[in-house]
Amino acid sequence: MTEVLRSAAMPRSTVRRKARWQRQAGRIFVAAIRQVFFLLLIVWSLVPILFIVISSFKRQTEIFAYPPSLFFEPTLQHYISLWTSWDAFFPTMINSAIISVSATALTCVICLMSGFVYSRYSSAFLGLSAVYLIAIRLLPPIVITLPLFPVVNALGLSDTHMVLVLLYTAFWVSICTMIMKTFIDEIPRSIDEAAAVDGASTLQLLWRVVAPMALQGLAACAIFVFVFSWNEYLFALIFTTTDAKTTPLIIAEVMDTPAGTNWGVLFAGVTIQLIPSTLLVVLTQRYLIAGLTAGSVKG
Amino acid sequence: MRTLDRTGWALIAPVHVLMLAVITIPSVYVLWLSLHSSTFGSGLEWVGLDNFREVLSDPYFWRAARNTVLVVNAIVYVEVLLAIGIAVLFMGGLRYPKLMFAIVLMPYAITEVVAVLTWKTLLNPGTGFISRAIEDMGFGLINWSISPPLALGVSALISIWYHLPFTFLLIYAGMVSIPRTVYEAARVDGATAWQQFWRITLPLLVPAILITLIFRLVFAFRLFTEVWLLTFGGPARLTEVVAIYLYQGAFRYGRFGEAAATGWLMVVGSLLIAAIYLWFMHRQMRGARP
Repeated sequence: MTEVLRSAAMPRSTVRRKARWQRQAGRIFVAAIRQVFFLLLIVWSLVPILFIVISSFKRQTEIFAYPPSLFFEPTLQHYISLWTSWDAFFPTMINSAIISVSATALTCVICLMSGFVYSRYSSAFLGLSAVYLIAIRLLPPIVITLPLFPVVNALGLSDTHMVLVLLYTAFWVSICTMIMKTFIDEIPRSIDEAAAVDGASTLQLLWRVVAPMALQGLAACAIFVFVFSWNEYLFALIFTTTDAKTTPLIIAEVMDTPAGTNWGVLFAGVTIQLIPSTLLVVLTQRYLIAGLTAGSVKG
Repeated sequence: MRTLDRTGWALIAPVHVLMLAVITIPSVYVLWLSLHSSTFGSGLEWVGLDNFREVLSDPYFWRAARNTVLVVNAIVYVEVLLAIGIAVLFMGGLRYPKLMFAIVLMPYAITEVVAVLTWKTLLNPGTGFISRAIEDMGFGLINWSISPPLALGVSALISIWYHLPFTFLLIYAGMVSIPRTVYEAARVDGATAWQQFWRITLPLLVPAILITLIFRLVFAFRLFTEVWLLTFGGPARLTEVVAIYLYQGAFRYGRFGEAAATGWLMVVGSLLIAAIYLWFMHRQMRGARP
C-alpha cells in the first residue's frame, strides 16, 4: 500500500529509473559474487599444485620461507640434482610409462571387442553378464590382493611389469566395456549391413569400420586407464619392490624420511611426474567428460 | 541383433577370462580363506566363523570401522554439496569454459601420493604455509600429527580435494541434461533464480545425486592412501581405517584368515551403506511427491 502511495507521489520516470537501477545493481552484485566464487575455486584447485611446481624452481632456503616469496630468482638446481644424484627416480618413470601404456593399449583392444559384442549381439548371457560386470566393480580392490599375493609370488610374477598391467587392465575392462558399448550403440546398424553386403567379415567390420568411428570412446577409455595406471599406489605398493617400482611409490618413500629429505629435488621429481597425466587430462577433457557421461548413464 | 556366435564368444572372452582370473575367482577364494586359519608358510586349517568372531571382537577393528564411517560420510556429503555449488556456478555461464574445466579437473590428474605430499607440506605444523597462516590469524598451532581427530580431518580434506573433480563432473552431467525448456517456462511464469534452483534444478537432479552418492560412498569406503601416507594409521593405531586395518593384518601381522574376513566385512559394509542410503533416499523421494 505504501509502495503505491509513494510511487504515486513521485514522477513516473523517476520510479522507472530507480527500479532499473536496482535491477542493475542486483545484477552487478550477483556477477561480483560469482567472480569471487570462481576465484576461490581456482585457488582451491590450483594453488596446492602450483605451490609444489613453483617451489621446485626455488632455492632450498627459500622453499619454506614464510611468507612464501612470489618473486624469486628461478633455479634449475633441483632438476640437475635430480638427474645427477637421484638414480632411482628415472627408472621408476620408465616403469610407470611401460606399465601405463601397456595397460591402456590392452584395455582399449579388449574393450573395443567386448563393447562391440555387447552393442550388436543379443543373448540372455550378455544381459546377465552386463550386470555382473558393473556389480563386480563395487568390490574394494584391496580385498583381492590377499589371494593374489601368494599366487603372484608362486608364478614368479611379483615385481614385474606384467602383474600391474594385468591388474590395472582387469579393474578397468568392466567399466570400459560399458563405455565402448554406449559409443558403439551410436553407430548406425545400417553400416554393419552395408559392410556385410560388401563381403566384410565381422573382424574386418570391427577393425576397419567400427574402430575408427568409435575413436571418441576409445579416447575416453584410454584417458581413464592411463591416468589411473600412472598414478596408482596401493597395488604397486603390494606387488612391486625394486624392478617394477613405479614413480608414486618412490615419491611416497622419499616423502616419509623427513629428516634427510631434499625437498627441492623431491618437488622437481613430482613436477615431472605430474606433467604427462595433467597434460592428458587438460588437453582431452572433452573425451573425459563424454566418457564419464556414457559410463554413468549405464553404471 | 545377432545371436551370440563363435566370433562373438571369442570377442568377449578376453574380458571375462581376465575378470574371472584377477577379480572374481580371487574374491570367492577370499571368502573361503576367511573360513580358514592361515599365515605365511603354513597350511590352511578350517576354523569356521572364528576369523569373523575374532575380527568383530577386536577393538582395533571397531575403531577402524568408526573412523571409516565418520570420514567417508564427511567426504561424500561435503563433496556432493560442493559439486552442486560448482555446477550451478558453471551453469550460470563463464568466460573461459575450457580453461576453467581444465583448472577444476587438475586434481584428478595427479596421483594421490602427490596430493598427500602437497597438503602435508602446506599444513605441516610449524613450517607449512597454510598452517602458519592459520597460526598468524590467531587460531593457534594446528598439530594434526599428534591429534587423531585432526589427522582424520586432514585426510578427509585431501580426499575431498582429490575426488571433487569426479563428483563435480557427475553432478554437472546431470545438470546439463535438465531440459532448457523447463527453465524457460518457469521464467515466463516469473520464477526467480532462487525458486528455479529449489523447484526445478534440485528435484530434477535427484537421480544424478543418487548415482553420485552411491558411486562415491562405495569408492570412498576403500579409503587407504590418504590416511596411510599421512599417518600410517598412527599414533597407536588411532587413525586406522578399515582398509589399513586389513593391510596391516595381512601384510604386517601375516594373519591372512582374519584379513580375508575383514575383506568380506568391508564388501558387505560398503554394499550395506549404499543400500541403506538408496532405500532412505528412495523413501524420501516418494514422500516428497504430491
